[in-house]
Amino acid sequence: MRSGILLKQALESYRSDADVGPLPPPVDTDSLLNTFHPDHLRGSVVKLGVGVNAGDSCQRDLADLLQTEAYIDEADLAGTPVTDVDVLVIGGGGAGCAAALAAAEKGARVLLATKLRLGDSNTVMAEGGIQASIEPDDSVQKHIQDTLRGGHHAGNPSLVASMAEDGPDVLRWLIHLGMQFELTASGDLQTRRAGGMSASRLVYCRDYTGLEMMRVLREAVTQHRSIEVWEQSPAVELLSNEFGLKCVGAVLTSLIDGQMRIVRTRSVILATGGLGRLHLNGFATSNHLGATGDGLVLAYRIGAKLCELDSFQYHPTGLVYPSHLSGKLVTEGVRAAGALLLNANGNRFIDELQPRDIVCAAILRECQEGRGVRIDDERVGVWLDTPRLEQTQPGLLERQFPNLMSRTKGSGLDPRTQPLLVHPTLHYQNGGVIIDASGASTVPGLYAVGEVAGGIHGRNRIMGNALLEIICFGRRAGYAATAKRDRGPKKVTLEHINQLRRALTLAKMPMTRRAPQILPAYAKGGLWTR
Amino acid sequence: MSTATHEGDNRTHISLTINGLAVDVTAGMTLVEAAWHAGVPGITGVGCLEGVCGSCRVMLRRDKVVSVGLACQTFVESGIEVIFLPAASAPRHHYDINDFKDSWDIHARFHSIFPEASRCRHCHGCVGACPKDISVEDGVALAAQGRYREAGEAFFECVMCELCDVACPELIAPAHVGLFSRRITAHFHLRPPNLITRLEELRQKRVEMGEGERDED
Repeated sequence: MRSGILLKQALESYRSDADVGPLPPPVDTDSLLNTFHPDHLRGSVVKLGVGVNAGDSCQRDLADLLQTEAYIDEADLAGTPVTDVDVLVIGGGGAGCAAALAAAEKGARVLLATKLRLGDSNTVMAEGGIQASIEPDDSVQKHIQDTLRGGHHAGNPSLVASMAEDGPDVLRWLIHLGMQFELTASGDLQTRRAGGMSASRLVYCRDYTGLEMMRVLREAVTQHRSIEVWEQSPAVELLSNEFGLKCVGAVLTSLIDGQMRIVRTRSVILATGGLGRLHLNGFATSNHLGATGDGLVLAYRIGAKLCELDSFQYHPTGLVYPSHLSGKLVTEGVRAAGALLLNANGNRFIDELQPRDIVCAAILRECQEGRGVRIDDERVGVWLDTPRLEQTQPGLLERQFPNLMSRTKGSGLDPRTQPLLVHPTLHYQNGGVIIDASGASTVPGLYAVGEVAGGIHGRNRIMGNALLEIICFGRRAGYAATAKRDRGPKKVTLEHINQLRRALTLAKMPMTRRAPQILPAYAKGGLWTR
Repeated sequence: MSTATHEGDNRTHISLTINGLAVDVTAGMTLVEAAWHAGVPGITGVGCLEGVCGSCRVMLRRDKVVSVGLACQTFVESGIEVIFLPAASAPRHHYDINDFKDSWDIHARFHSIFPEASRCRHCHGCVGACPKDISVEDGVALAAQGRYREAGEAFFECVMCELCDVACPELIAPAHVGLFSRRITAHFHLRPPNLITRLEELRQKRVEMGEGERDED
């Protein structure tokens, strides 16, 4: 039996007006992170054995996925229907839509293929906002500095500069497409300051910024005459030329009828998002159902170099209860508004507004050292003290966090009277496919944008840079992918898969498991338990 | 050791049908979880699992009452019949926001794009269908009167599930009327001075650096 105080007991002894005790003296953050952050769990990181990143550190579960057998071989390509387009975009979230719209602006015929429905993505769940330096006391330079510092100086300065410089123009482009933002009384864009920012830089649309962005982009894409959309069509493999050196298309399948299709093109833009649904290190996730890291697998196999494969963001406050929202976020804004984190003894244990990785490590410390609130063997957490917030600022939760209130409403839980049980949740992939300022990967013909790309956020992303990144690099890749006007591919092959199989065999790696995963095992129609 | 949970009595067994299959699950599960648990095949219309992507549309029957909703936000009940709905069909109303050069003719354009919007027969089908409790009918009426800002505000919480489109006997496509209203409000009226000032500063800097104008747009 693991330690901790049982939920019932903890609830009975909880008082929203109890004395929470003094904040303990700050501990050394390096040793806190090294001991408790999931990136540093013993045995969670391995060295890759095959591929362009051989020898690099990689999270164990991800390494297993990157070094696996493919679903198809060349025999499967025979007789498969072929579609020719100028640009293929794989992924229907914010980055994919931005790339498709940009390529279509330049006159390209675009095919956007997405695994689920157009708009099913992490973009739609983003609550906080989007960063752009527009206030008089702010500058592009400050935005660059904040982003690099937040990422522990592991980010690529030239990519960060491209993103920060594009910020204001990204907002103009979104407004042109019809996205609304909060305004001040004088009509300026309302900004606010979040963790890690040296100026007020976050523009937003209540706590629904990502939803507002995604529905506008989705409508713009479906209405566009030269963008064709294939839903329920995941990519199972990229296609290479006869030397396995250039990306010339992809093989898509259909979740409805299993029919495979070959798409032949000059440029493929990967916008497949992250991998929360792999539940790395056994963590719950805030991500949508399709976030299974498919893009990383496809890109790695065709020879694209990846980076920071051992660095992930665990958001400190994922819900433990209600169970159907397990792992879903309580936005950082609730802590910014003054909500405290309390352990099972009712004591504070960390300054709640420290960077995400530090707060996350502190919560895990409380849980491991027996000061967590336990539901059963699996589920443990600490209190996010929302009733106290309601007591000191009545009505605030309802006014500022309609999304949180409407989500908990259905399950008989009222954050105004009962504290929320929270635990860190797998939130974001900090690294990914290495790109240049136009979104191009190290493989000719292959671009990567959005969460699947790496190098911008270093080893920790600050709030509001994800929504900026997807539009900025989505547009850049869309424009760049149409600039090359060669005659298109002559031959489409799976030569890179043949090379992968040779490498796996030489390295004596098992070839039993196949990837990309496409859906988590529990959603594939097997028996499932919570 | 028995475990105390927030869920209360979550061991209760519940029987229902999903896509015609009899399913035995425990109370407290959502319809998505129940479908996964029972291995119902072909459930691919699932996305965010928190009620904001609008993918997991279901039709439910309790006794003789039929309703619609989102499967990730609806809990299992004894005896109900559930059908996961297919994705929405292609849009019937077409426009390109780049074609709108003059905001004075937007009212005429709206009625040529959405000719059905002024034919609402107040059946409340859309209002009953909306999983977000949006006053859909009022929103459509406001748009038909040319009050796009207010109409768009009414649709603020729209999650694009398009259940109102399915419910409308006049084929108004209320979700798209709402989105049109929101989009043209931003497109024509959002001109924030702080953003415009910064864009101009950056443009002048590029000219000074000799980079010239961007050709991107």
